[in-house]
Amino acid sequence: MTEFKEIEDQARPGGLEVQGLVVGYDDVPLHSALDLAVPRGTVTALLGPSGSGKSTLLAAIAGIRAPIAGSVFVDGLNVTSIPLHQRGIGIVFQEPLLFTHLDVAGNIAYGLRRKGLRGERVRSRVTELAAWLDLEGLEGRRWDELSGGQAQRVALARALAPAPCVLLLDEPFSALDTELRERLAKEVRVLAIEHDIAIVHVTHDEEEATGMADVITRLSANDAPTQA
Amino acid sequence: MAQAVGSASFDVSSFRVAGFAAAQAAASTLVALAIGIPVTAAVSRFHFRGQPIALALVTLPFVLPTVVVALSIRSLFGTAGPTGIGVVIAAHAFVNIAVITRIVGAQWRQLDPRSALVARSLGASPTRAFLTCTMPALAPSIALASGIVFTYSFGSLGLVLLLGNGSVRTLETQIVRQSSVLLNFPAAAATAALQAIVVITVLVIASRAGRRRDRGAVRPLLPLPPGPAGRFVTIGAVLAAAVVLAPVIALLIASLDWWGALLSDQSISRIGSPLSALARSLSYAAATALIAAVIGGCAAIAMLGGRVGRFIGLLAVIPLGISSATLGLGTLLAYGRGSFDLRSTGLLIALAHALIAVPLVIAIAAPAMANADVRTLAVAQSLGASPSRAFWTAYGPILRIVCAGGAALSAAVSLGELGAASLLSRSGELTVPLQIARLVSRPGEASTGVAAALSVLLVGLVLIIVLVVDRAGRRL
Repeated sequence: MTEFKEIEDQARPGGLEVQGLVVGYDDVPLHSALDLAVPRGTVTALLGPSGSGKSTLLAAIAGIRAPIAGSVFVDGLNVTSIPLHQRGIGIVFQEPLLFTHLDVAGNIAYGLRRKGLRGERVRSRVTELAAWLDLEGLEGRRWDELSGGQAQRVALARALAPAPCVLLLDEPFSALDTELRERLAKEVRVLAIEHDIAIVHVTHDEEEATGMADVITRLSANDAPTQA
Repeated sequence: MAQAVGSASFDVSSFRVAGFAAAQAAASTLVALAIGIPVTAAVSRFHFRGQPIALALVTLPFVLPTVVVALSIRSLFGTAGPTGIGVVIAAHAFVNIAVITRIVGAQWRQLDPRSALVARSLGASPTRAFLTCTMPALAPSIALASGIVFTYSFGSLGLVLLLGNGSVRTLETQIVRQSSVLLNFPAAAATAALQAIVVITVLVIASRAGRRRDRGAVRPLLPLPPGPAGRFVTIGAVLAAAVVLAPVIALLIASLDWWGALLSDQSISRIGSPLSALARSLSYAAATALIAAVIGGCAAIAMLGGRVGRFIGLLAVIPLGISSATLGLGTLLAYGRGSFDLRSTGLLIALAHALIAVPLVIAIAAPAMANADVRTLAVAQSLGASPSRAFWTAYGPILRIVCAGGAALSAAVSLGELGAASLLSRSGELTVPLQIARLVSRPGEASTGVAAALSVLLVGLVLIIVLVVDRAGRRL
């Protein structure tokens, strides 16, 4: 993991901090203000039923949509008005959303190339992540030659490759079978610790949240979020 | 125009013709649906040997020049064959089966086949499951396809003139008669306005109905079902291919003795060399493909960007409701005079053809772009891609495929277009469809034979292009 460390060392210690974040539609808030502190190396689960605004919150943290109010800090830096591609926040959605014109290796390497890395540095990082996520031998495959679990692991490897400070997981395991879901949930926890990433995991599955998160924040429509 | 609207000739004859044309178009639409839906069920959904060729063959009549379609139908039935309203309706249905197959087939590929199985498990027979489950889900695309077939049949000119035996009239033939024979230009303008009102109204209603289509992922082709259903698919596909191939084979037989005359590259009296016409048509087709793909691709990108973008996209689709001769005239007025005179560049025909083809490129590109998951854009940006880079990552591969497909389709349209080319071509520089039209209008076996040989050549070229388009589409 030497290359991984080299990339990580460029980031400052810290994690994700959310202050008074309110999201909604047409200025109608979905819930009261959310405060969240996710230190690096920990996992926080956002738990709530469908329609409670979990994914909308995640979109606001990532910078995909503007919040009604509140601020987002990454490693102490206010990133609320910084565009998504400069925030250093990785995302994995429920669907893998692999880039269909690239093979597995190309997908994993995408973020590294955007950082200006080329050649051997990219190859070794791809190999390293492929080995870690059991994707060895699949590097040359296209998205439609992968199973659901393999595709989701490629999406996870792709998000991890550029060593983000923060990783947002929007129910990424919900379409997978129970065994794989449990395994990946455990791996995510190891990932947060080993690679010192602040992870926010959105789920409606209480058991999954309990199994992998250090902190659980419960959301329900138009209610104040509560932490456990 | 107000004066023309008030004139007796407009009130009496144009409205009567409009009523007749509407009835004819409605009948053509019903026949096209009756044949088109079973054909769609057979060739658009299942994977079987020859499926891509069957689908391309069904598409062929739509992209062939009307003069070739008319000539092939005449070759099939002989000169003593039927003419009049019945043949015109059959020809319109024949040409427009492709519209039904492409539009309804595209939505059928997005339906989950398990929903019909659920209906079957609840006691519905296969027919009832189809009528109560599949048909309602397909209704928006059937409405959209019907609107387009009605529009094409309502404004038809070539098939009506060539097969109608003078007894069938549409507003388009009325415009030609009023402007060329009666020289009553105000009445012609009023008739054109009436036609535009009808066409735009039908297209707006159809596109509103079509907007209710569910947009989902296109599912892979299904394996052939066992038993009677599988046999139905096979027989349907073979019949569909036979219906299209019969006139083409008749054309081939009519051309057999005349390939030497065609390939000798000798000028046929006063219409020039067929091979030069072929080279000219191919160069127009290439230029059309390039212009239409660029403009259509840009319009499809613009349509992703909210209300203003959709308005721009709508403007680009307007030529769909305007006859090709009118578009040719518009091109001549816009680019054929004054300081922006392109007549000497030879680009006028390609520009007019691009105007006709751009709506088709948009029709292919816009839904594919809209179907792309916008979250892919966010994923690319979260990995450090700039907004423009992320856009090309998310939409670039789709855009490349749809523009390649759209360009090929535009080339096919250009190869077969007659109306605008007849208005814009310079003397002695005819395109292939124009040469065919001139040959068909002349008496003598030689003229018909060479026209048939040229038509067969055009059929082959267009078939290859349609197969290329389909291949590009399958990569989506």
